[in-house]
Amino acid sequence: MNKLYLWGIIMGALMLGATYIAVTGTKGGLNDDIINILTIAGAVSLVIITVFVVIKYVRQMQTDTADGVLARETWDGIAEYENELPVGWAVTFLLTIVWGMWYFIAGYPLNAYSQIGEYNEEVVTLTTKFEKDFNEKMSNFSETEKTQYMIDMGESVYITECMICHGLTADGIDGLSTDLNNWGTHASIVDAIVNGSKGLNYPMGDMAAGFASGQDATDIAVYIMNDLSGETGSIAYDNACAGCHGTDGKGLDGSSPDLLVYGESGFIVDVLNRGKKGFIGDMPKFDRLSDKQKEAVGAYISSLNK
Amino acid sequence: MFHWLEKNPFFFSVVVFVIIAFAGIVEIFPNFAQQSRPVIGTKPYTTLELAGRHVYIKNSCNACHSQLVRPFKSETDRYGDYSLSGEYAYDRPFLWGSKRTGPDLLRVGNYRTTDWHEIHMKDPASVVPGTNMPAYKWMFTNIADINTAFAEQLTIAQFFSVPYNTPVPMKDGSMAVVKMGKSVADAHALALAEARIIVADMKDQGVKDAVASGQIPEIVAIIAYMNGLK
Repeated sequence: MNKLYLWGIIMGALMLGATYIAVTGTKGGLNDDIINILTIAGAVSLVIITVFVVIKYVRQMQTDTADGVLARETWDGIAEYENELPVGWAVTFLLTIVWGMWYFIAGYPLNAYSQIGEYNEEVVTLTTKFEKDFNEKMSNFSETEKTQYMIDMGESVYITECMICHGLTADGIDGLSTDLNNWGTHASIVDAIVNGSKGLNYPMGDMAAGFASGQDATDIAVYIMNDLSGETGSIAYDNACAGCHGTDGKGLDGSSPDLLVYGESGFIVDVLNRGKKGFIGDMPKFDRLSDKQKEAVGAYISSLNK
Repeated sequence: MFHWLEKNPFFFSVVVFVIIAFAGIVEIFPNFAQQSRPVIGTKPYTTLELAGRHVYIKNSCNACHSQLVRPFKSETDRYGDYSLSGEYAYDRPFLWGSKRTGPDLLRVGNYRTTDWHEIHMKDPASVVPGTNMPAYKWMFTNIADINTAFAEQLTIAQFFSVPYNTPVPMKDGSMAVVKMGKSVADAHALALAEARIIVADMKDQGVKDAVASGQIPEIVAIIAYMNGLK
């Protein structure tokens, strides 16, 4: 037997053996999975084809002789043959040039594709899908399901956007930021009246501490929690708060926060739009959230104290 | 023709030059396109921001944080608008990064604040549970290198015509002027003025004392840089 074939068989056996060891050594091994078996079949045929192709060309190198007409010019005695191009090669080469021209001019219309165009399409597709799903769900839901849906959606936005400062349980991470579990309650209004409140950047400016205290403060809180109705706190409110927030509590056309929406989603949306440079820290604006997302965050945070 | 070229070394060199020059033109020409000009709203870095940028590079922040928002909705929802090439007009070198172990920082100034950065740099896990970002406590004591930042400003203003002390258009139609000091002392004064505004929102007493005595710790510089990334 030819020495070359012997080497081929040895190399082939070695490679097949290595493949076998590599496969059975992995977790799971062959385990009758069609993909694994196909892969192994591919590996085996690769080994066999490689060995035979190598043998063919090594033999050709050993036995082939060249002939033909030499070109006139030589470089230090080295010359090249003036052989014709192989027909198949020449035709493929010309076809490639023709295809290239077609592709450049017609096949890939310049400016017909842009990454930004694809991005815009993606945004439109996803927004339409969201709105369709959202409206469909909303029209089928009962009132409690609607509220729950907004709260769930708000929670997922909260976890990506707000959790980083207010913490997973919205407790404000040991005083690093506002504890949202108490937000929108009687106690938090009393706290704002006694200690003041700042940072929403309204034309009226920051709210100083101590506009009211003691019983007045708690009464005003009751009055605001009742959406500015009832007897309790109404006089104290007019004395202490109406100057900036108006007797109707609507904030005198945007000069100060609207108290009627306090404790509800609308107030949170306002804070998200404005940001808050408060006593504890500086909260950025979140105006890049969509309106529905802001509303949902509002729904989630208002639900925390209940 | 190829036989002819092979016999004429001079013309062979000419053809080689033309072909390589064409490849060069393909690379160089787009830099003169309108899209590569500074985007409206892009300002040169102030002295303190540049010092912060040096701190950013020194600590290899770009090994884990990219500064490139790709045009996918999943990215723009999280980080803000996709980036445009003109936004990097004043970045030398740009800090696009190629791997995100942490989040992208190109627009971090829009959704993080000074006090958050302060807490986060001291103890990342206290605000981001499970994070593998290390604490950068030495930034609170190391003093930022304002001299180098000023030297860089002088260089880029002179050789790359970066518009310092010149009005640049902003998104809202106004013009903004980024000042550059006339001397080293002037640059220090400008950086210190900027640092005071940032330190007002910080809590670390050591940093406050340092700035009050005219020193600028690295943390102030890097926060200035972060807040400027919008």
